[in-house]
Amino acid sequence: MTVLISGASLFLGTILGFLLGMVRSRKNRLVNPLIGFFVDVMRGTPFIVQVFIVFFILPEFGVELEAFTAAVLAMTIMGSAFICEIVTAGILAVPKGQWEASSSSGLNILQQLRLVIMPQAMKTILPPLVGQYVLLIKDSSVVSAIGVVELTRVGWLTVVRIPEGLMVFSLVAALYFAISYPLIRISNSLERKLTVNRVSL
Amino acid sequence: MLEFFNYRTIWEYMPLFEEGLRNTFLISIVSLFLALIVGVLACAARLSNWRGLRAVSIAYIESIRSTPLLVQIYFLYFGLPTLGIRIPEIQTGILALMFNSGAYIAEIVRAGITSVPNGQIEAGISSGLSYFQRMRFIILPQAVGVTVPPLLGQAITLVKDSALLSMISVVELTRSGQILTSERFMPAEAFFTVALLYLVIYFFLKYLSGWSQKKLIFRET
Amino acid sequence: MIRFQNVNKWFGSLHVLNDINLQVSAGEVVVVCGPSGSGKSTLLRCINRLERIQKGKLFVDGMPVHDSTINLTKLRAEIGFVFQQFHLYPHLNVLENVTLAPIHVRGMKKKEAEELAMEKLERVGLADKATAHPEQLSGGQQQRVAIARGLAMSPKILLFDEPTSALDPEMIGEVLSVMVKLAEEGMTMCVVTHEMGFARQVAHRVIFMDEGKIIETGKPDQFFDNPHSDRAALFISKILKH
Repeated sequence: MTVLISGASLFLGTILGFLLGMVRSRKNRLVNPLIGFFVDVMRGTPFIVQVFIVFFILPEFGVELEAFTAAVLAMTIMGSAFICEIVTAGILAVPKGQWEASSSSGLNILQQLRLVIMPQAMKTILPPLVGQYVLLIKDSSVVSAIGVVELTRVGWLTVVRIPEGLMVFSLVAALYFAISYPLIRISNSLERKLTVNRVSL
Repeated sequence: MLEFFNYRTIWEYMPLFEEGLRNTFLISIVSLFLALIVGVLACAARLSNWRGLRAVSIAYIESIRSTPLLVQIYFLYFGLPTLGIRIPEIQTGILALMFNSGAYIAEIVRAGITSVPNGQIEAGISSGLSYFQRMRFIILPQAVGVTVPPLLGQAITLVKDSALLSMISVVELTRSGQILTSERFMPAEAFFTVALLYLVIYFFLKYLSGWSQKKLIFRET
Repeated sequence: MIRFQNVNKWFGSLHVLNDINLQVSAGEVVVVCGPSGSGKSTLLRCINRLERIQKGKLFVDGMPVHDSTINLTKLRAEIGFVFQQFHLYPHLNVLENVTLAPIHVRGMKKKEAEELAMEKLERVGLADKATAHPEQLSGGQQQRVAIARGLAMSPKILLFDEPTSALDPEMIGEVLSVMVKLAEEGMTMCVVTHEMGFARQVAHRVIFMDEGKIIETGKPDQFFDNPHSDRAALFISKILKH
């Protein structure tokens, strides 16, 4: 279940986050403050509060959600905000001359992004993106609060019956570790690999 | 939507929110302080020449970073009693936050120390400064400046993380929202108020972080 | 003053210093040149033991640098080092950059150290910038401060590792003229540089290195106009094109 929730929301969050990030990097005066505000709200409030808002409050407006759907929705929205930040930073790290050069050769904005800017920005984006995935997978433990039976909830349910807290949660922790630690290593090695060709002083 | 809002109830529950906010502050500040100590010690161990110490520090940092905070909280909450240790929930929570943030702070401090360019350290070596003199006069004055903004970032994370203590029924800000929800079933009033209060703290810390970034970081040109 | 005896050093499998024999006497100015990766920087960095040699012997003013029991503080106090990238301490102002080592290594009083530092800054022509921070200075000025910092310990030897390579062309002159002045005052200097004008004007000897070996040694005019080895000739023709 943890894998399913994380996988689904990582996928959706990445798409949404990239879209927002690309739009934001265009520095539109109308749209940017909106995205900026959205990102701030997502970064400024605890994820558990966001989960409660999605799960308890949307139904008041007639949107009935299963716990699972609510969990994926909350994680997607939050993930997209953080990924948007990473993507924007990555795009802004590409030298301005690249935009000027590519528009001089007659590419339209989408072509510029796809052919010139994004391939270069990915170098900056990838390491923190993988790091963000680790954070999201860990955050998925929080949706146990609305009763989604994922890894942490399983631990909780077990510990209520078998009072061996240390053992149960060591086991739960070990399972998370098995997913997260390799990703952290990947993120670190990506960072090392992709920054080699930067000018060394 | 705003006309549905029952401001009276919010007002009525103000003392509860106040208590929650106070505890959120208290928990965050105490945990941050303790985490700083843990973090600096862990970082010192990580950078030490003694292999055993280094291994312990790395194991600590990596296992914290690879597991969710909530699991760490439950680990202490359900685990400590099986060891015969019984302490109030709030202390369990602070302990969990301390160990959790400590690991991240250790990495922040390490990044600060290693951010000082190698050449400056060589310049210090060349003029005959000892290891401790280089630490004191060249590395630390610059490292402190570099670490303040990410430490404030960690403070933001810590404030938000303290929300998870609601899961072990510590009455902090998020818990006060839950209580209102369960007593009156007014989740919108409850959680929008809670979110707003968190946002106020966030914007304050974010402003501080931006200011410190401008003020405190020295760059080699 | 400096004596290399069959010095060898490896970085992994790379033989960076291959059986180096070299003697620099007091008051001598030696220019070291050669293609990048030839080991010339490493040669310099071994002298004040930023790098350790692995085989052979190296004496500086009678002190055995290859010996691990040597008093490093004493060794380094006798040698000033100037880096390609200046490496001034950005959190300290110019005066503090220069006084840091005299105060904490020599144990000088602050006032005494400041007088000394002002005198050194005077020599590099930057006494008026004493309270400025490094970021407010041009590259050339920063490098001159770095030279003053090197002089502050009143060293017997000054080492320069490509002191002008990171500078814009119009700033190279001011740094070189400070170096010329020092050379004329009789300072012992080893300079890694490709500045031929500087070498012709003040160097007593030019040493050409390639692939970790000293290929050729000679008087500057003879070396630049009439190199013995093909590799040196090729190298000179390349730097002349610039």
